[in-house]
Amino acid sequence: MSASIADENENTERLDDASKNEKMFTLKKWNAVAMWSWDVECDTCAICRVQVMDACLRCQAESKKDSYGKQDCVVVWGECNHSFHYCCMSLWVKQNNRCPLCQQEWSIQRMGK
Amino acid sequence: MSRHVSKIGDPSPLKRLDEPQISKKIRLEIEVDENMSDNSPDRNRRANFSNVNGVNRNLNIHSVKPTTKKLIIKNFKSEPKLPDDYNETTWKKLSSAVIAIQQSKPNEYLLEELYQAVGNMCSHKMASELYKNLFELIDAHVRSNIEKFKTETMDRLLFLKKMNDTWQSHCNQMIMIRGIFLCLDRTYVLQNPNISSIWDMGLDLFRKYFMLHTLVQTRVVEGLLMLIEQERQGDKVDRILLKSLLRMLTDLQIYNKAFEQKFLQSTERLYAAEGQRLMQELEVPEFLAHVDKRIHEENERVLHYLDSSTKYQLIHTVEKQLLSEHINNILQKGLDNLLEENRLHDLSLLYQLFSRVKNGLQELCHAFNAFIKKQGRTIVIDPEKDKTMVQELLDFKDAMDNIVASCFKKNEMFSNSLKEAFEHFINQRTNKPAELIAKFVDSKLRAGNKEATEEELERLLDKIMVLFRFIHGKDVFEAFYKKDLAKRLLVGKSASVDAEKSMLSKLKQECGGGFTSKLEGMFKDMELSKDINVAFKQHLNINTPELMPLDMTVNILTMGYWPTYLPMDVTLPAQMVKFQDIFKEFYLSKHNGRKLQWQPTLGHCVLKARFKAGQKELVVSLFQTLVILLFNESDEHGFEYIKAATNIEDGELRRTLQSLACGKARVLNKIPKGREIEDNDKFKFNNDFVNKLFRIKINQIQMKETTEEQKATEERVFQDRQYQIDAAIVRIMKMRKTLSHNLLISELLGQLKFPVKPSDLKKRIESLIDRDYMERDKDNSNQYNYVA
Ligand SMILES: [Zn+2]
Ligand SMILES: [Zn+2]
Ligand SMILES: [Zn+2]
Repeated sequence: MSASIADENENTERLDDASKNEKMFTLKKWNAVAMWSWDVECDTCAICRVQVMDACLRCQAESKKDSYGKQDCVVVWGECNHSFHYCCMSLWVKQNNRCPLCQQEWSIQRMGK
Repeated sequence: MSRHVSKIGDPSPLKRLDEPQISKKIRLEIEVDENMSDNSPDRNRRANFSNVNGVNRNLNIHSVKPTTKKLIIKNFKSEPKLPDDYNETTWKKLSSAVIAIQQSKPNEYLLEELYQAVGNMCSHKMASELYKNLFELIDAHVRSNIEKFKTETMDRLLFLKKMNDTWQSHCNQMIMIRGIFLCLDRTYVLQNPNISSIWDMGLDLFRKYFMLHTLVQTRVVEGLLMLIEQERQGDKVDRILLKSLLRMLTDLQIYNKAFEQKFLQSTERLYAAEGQRLMQELEVPEFLAHVDKRIHEENERVLHYLDSSTKYQLIHTVEKQLLSEHINNILQKGLDNLLEENRLHDLSLLYQLFSRVKNGLQELCHAFNAFIKKQGRTIVIDPEKDKTMVQELLDFKDAMDNIVASCFKKNEMFSNSLKEAFEHFINQRTNKPAELIAKFVDSKLRAGNKEATEEELERLLDKIMVLFRFIHGKDVFEAFYKKDLAKRLLVGKSASVDAEKSMLSKLKQECGGGFTSKLEGMFKDMELSKDINVAFKQHLNINTPELMPLDMTVNILTMGYWPTYLPMDVTLPAQMVKFQDIFKEFYLSKHNGRKLQWQPTLGHCVLKARFKAGQKELVVSLFQTLVILLFNESDEHGFEYIKAATNIEDGELRRTLQSLACGKARVLNKIPKGREIEDNDKFKFNNDFVNKLFRIKINQIQMKETTEEQKATEERVFQDRQYQIDAAIVRIMKMRKTLSHNLLISELLGQLKFPVKPSDLKKRIESLIDRDYMERDKDNSNQYNYVA
């Protein structure tokens, strides 16, 4: 079979093949790998300038001794969709209840989990 | 000044005092002053029974009990009147007795009678004349004895023997004479501080004539030096003769002036020449053995015949001429060889000898340090030797440790110097040793490394940690270690969970929790993934029971903990896409605010395969899976078709096809045959595939780690360093609240696990001030305050 015969419906064909039971190869087990990260527009927290995937600077400084890295330093999204470390933002709003990036009034849309 | 009483009476020369006709035993006790200083006027009164027949001259003194009984002579009646010619007749008796003693003839008078006569004369004020007469008698005898030697031109050894005989008999005679004239010592001598005791008078006279005739004196001293030189050349000499004559010189108080100085000079001359010569002729180990032998011999000499006061100067002279003068030569000429060849015995001797001389150990330590730096550098610096670098470092460290422990007496100066040298040379090449140590650990922790037991592995890891400690760029190690750890965890290739955890705790102990938190996070991810997969399976059973059965598991990695992998989009078969979507929906429903990125490069699968010869199971990578599944549609595909259908990146695809069609287990046939994958190649299902195994792992051909990749790893390390510096500054400031610039910098340099320039630190401080983490003190611009 030459390359030219391959058509756009290849995927459906393969699915159809799978339904017949004469295949030479059958997928039995699949170990997939995926990387998770916070679903944010900007990788860096504008307040502490550390990547949001890392703990904020204060948490890093504090928890050098305990083992697992994240230390519940989660991300928080505002209604404006901007995101920061929750730690950083909760200190920030004590002084100024506006988003540091767009100056809209800050209200939490969701928390990372 | 301690005083004690010395008993005489037992040694044989005085035996006749105790003869049976003496009705009452006379116990004689005399006070002896032991520690008289040289300028004491009483000096001459010191009893000196030296060297009688070579017997230990302290014999008498040793048996003394520290009582303070004074002289008691019993049985003395009231003074009888003496005849007028008493003096004259008595002296006649006494002098004939003295002369008999001097000529070794029998004595015609009883000793008791003579002794009493002396007592009588003393108590009748004739002591002074008696002393004078005795003096003249002895003077004449000693003079004639010594003058005999003036004219003698005999063989040197014979001369020495005769001189020794003369001295021995002088001592014996003086003891006997003194026994008779004891009363003189007890009364007259005691009362007149300027008069010498009889024994000392004998010595004084002997010295006087011995010194007067310089020729005699010179012949004796030169004879002694000759004998010693003969002995140093390996001949056997009469040590007893040497000892006796040297004692004579000591007793005459001319040991130092007449002998010792000349002896030390000749010693110095001999060993100066010998040192120069042997340094040229001998190899260092032989030379050291020779020096050791010489020092031993000279110590023996002191033990056997030299006066013990000579010991310090003598040994010092030998050490100076044979060692001190040659320290640099010995080290330059021999140390490297000894260390390279691990000659423990010679190194121990070297250490032991060098510890004798001033600065010897410092110089040895210095040269030891230089050797390690030089040798270590050759291990580290040559890229050709990278494959064996870590093993060589471990072996080298073991060897040097062993030398410090077993040859250098665990001397701390040496063990510290050893550490300093290792730290110095290992950092002469940046990053590479750290990378290779990480890879070495990987090779030991990977499954299949079964040659070591748990304990051996543990010990090896400890040794590696010692090397790790020397590395300045510890984060470079971490970056490479992490890459390998990821592989071990994701492919399930770790040899032992215990060993992994143990290594992790060692790293943590060494560098703190911050250093290992991400590595620990990786382990945590693996555990969490297990839980998620259990939940996912339940979810599938409940929600989509109609789906084709596929055992799908997913490892969810936290970005940031793991190495970064190039994102790659590939085209999956519909069935896999479906599973992937279900999982994603399931996962995100549990974890708010997250997103997932699939990592096809890390996935792997198990396939069932039907060949003519029967069923097999193939353990393959995701990429291999995608290619193989295409052959369900048709037995044959061209390269271009496969590429378009799978969307696998070109290079990756070529390697994948190579593994399937050119490796050991060929489930595909390449047309035409050949190792390289060309654009026009075709691939055909190999229905004739045979393999004795049921479950076959087809290894993905690993792309060699390119220099760019290594650069990228290093680059990431540098970026991470910025965050680490920031975190460390905040940590320190939070604890201290306020701190001067210099103190902050020095604390930082102590905490950071990588080399860093103070100017870089300054930049980070400025950046933190901009971000309101800290501020400059208003009154003191050199001081910072923490901002909460
Ligand atoms: Zn932040
Ligand atoms: Zn935080
Ligand atoms: Zn905003």
